[in-house]
Amino acid sequence: MNGIVKNSDLAPTSAASARAPLPAPSPPSRLGVLRGQARLVVLPVIAAALVITGWEAVVRIKQIPNTLLPAPSAVAIRLTETLPFLLGQAVPTTLETIASFLISMVLGISLAVLICKSRLMRDALYPNIVLFQLIPKIALAPLFIVWLGIGSTSRITFGVFISFFPVVVATLTGLTSVDRDLLRLCKAVGADESRIYAKVRFPAAVPHLFSGLKIAITFAMIGVIVGEFITAQAGLGYMILFAASQAEMTLIFASIVVLCVIGLVLYGIIVMAEALALKKYGA
Amino acid sequence: MLAQVETFKAITAARVRKVYETPSGPVEAVAEAGFEIARGDFVSILGPSGCGKSTLMLMIAGLESTTSGTITLDGLQVSGPQTDAGMMFQDPTLLPWRSVLDNVLFPIDMRGAVSSESRTRAESLLRMVDLWSFRDKRPRELSGGMRQRVALARALVNDPRILLMDEPFSALDAITRDEMGYALARIWDTTRKTAIFITHSIREAIFLSDRVLVMGRRPSTIIEDVRIPFERPRDPSIEADPRFNELYLHLKASIHRTTGAQ
Ligand SMILES: Nc1ncnc2c1ncn2[C@@H]1O[C@H](COP(=O)(O)OP(=O)(O)OP(=O)(O)O)[C@@H](O)[C@H]1O
Ligand SMILES: [Mg+2]
Repeated sequence: MNGIVKNSDLAPTSAASARAPLPAPSPPSRLGVLRGQARLVVLPVIAAALVITGWEAVVRIKQIPNTLLPAPSAVAIRLTETLPFLLGQAVPTTLETIASFLISMVLGISLAVLICKSRLMRDALYPNIVLFQLIPKIALAPLFIVWLGIGSTSRITFGVFISFFPVVVATLTGLTSVDRDLLRLCKAVGADESRIYAKVRFPAAVPHLFSGLKIAITFAMIGVIVGEFITAQAGLGYMILFAASQAEMTLIFASIVVLCVIGLVLYGIIVMAEALALKKYGA
Repeated sequence: MLAQVETFKAITAARVRKVYETPSGPVEAVAEAGFEIARGDFVSILGPSGCGKSTLMLMIAGLESTTSGTITLDGLQVSGPQTDAGMMFQDPTLLPWRSVLDNVLFPIDMRGAVSSESRTRAESLLRMVDLWSFRDKRPRELSGGMRQRVALARALVNDPRILLMDEPFSALDAITRDEMGYALARIWDTTRKTAIFITHSIREAIFLSDRVLVMGRRPSTIIEDVRIPFERPRDPSIEADPRFNELYLHLKASIHRTTGAQ
């Protein structure tokens, strides 16, 4: 049958097309050639590059003044000129963010353990901690200055204030995620509480804990920057405020770029730690 | 050990009652349970869902208090967690971050008592449940039946006096479940530990047990106590025995009577 069907004879009703398989999935688009990991990295980069190019083009074509919206190229030039200075300003911001984060982590985990261990503590504290979250915490920043002065103590404390809660919730979720029968087994074999925490509850909480830590690090940075806005002493937050008062738009953007990079690096460190921990403690 | 101790029943329950206090009022989980289990007997408990079987087992293990009545193990009254009861649950409850061998060692590790002898014991148990070649694997790499075999080895690692199993095979598919039943019968034959086995499968109960107790619907008591006469070691072929079917129909009828009564 096939033999007598010439190419020119192919019609929708011909035997060849009747036997043809279902239409193949449409051929991959050009971008579809990228697969897997490469695609996950390359596509966002292309998208970001397009936005930046568009931004540059709009600023140039419309001749928007630098004091209103600087072109990315102008920001880049300013960034290279001022990089050593900006990095100097980044040091206190980074250190205070890390300090806030570490304190939040210790405080958050301790509170979670307290709440998990004691029924009394849970009933007394947990509703308050949750209610506490309904306060728009940024609005309280000036209070910290009044109480703790304009030094790094008040910025770090404020960073802790807004970043410890996610750690409490995530850790508590993890600590209480342990199967009831498994806890019964622990009791039945005569395990004491501290062993149950060390060998069962904490390992089970590890994946949850990291989801809390990832939120905490970004919140800690927000807290420190807001603190720098208010105390106006040093740091990238202060630089942004200062540059704004001088209408130095390129400097503002250069500072923001440095902030973004620091934020990414800190977040990346936690993601890497998480990957290591999940290798051991993941399901 | 004193000869007299041997005459004690391994497990006794006398007028045991359990009422859970819940926010929506008291729930009577067990109304009045009484039985005696001889040392080395394998006893199954059948009964409708929610009739208090798990509660009864937890009270025997000392993990739930009795509201009234007394339970004894080897003549001693149960008043707290019984560290020499090996336990199995419907879920294997293995620790995903531990290897199979370390999961078997878990009960000993939780008392900080891992030694080279306990390690040797865990290894021989893994051979017994046919998981020797999987000793370094993580639980996620095992099938459901294999995980329950790890849980069985873990339950035996302390060399407990009694074995308490709460529907250990209920989450398995029918074929794996049968295989697990045969494996448990074989392993139990080598240890002959006093065992309580909760199940919803009448056939499983008959095949494994020396005695089958039936609990009635809540508030519940023991309404039937049937002795299973088959010789040990048992072979799957006993299911073809007419007595097997007779026992099956008898137990089935008494369970239906309890469910129909409500
Ligand atoms: N911790 C608890 N608090 C309050 N009520 C409970 C508790 N545990 C069990 N109950 C109630 O006690 C009754 C008996 O429960 P139990 O789990 O012992 O039944 P079961 O026979 O094991 O049921 P199943 O066959 O479904 O496993 C049920 O009504 C249950 O709701
Ligand atoms: Mg149950």
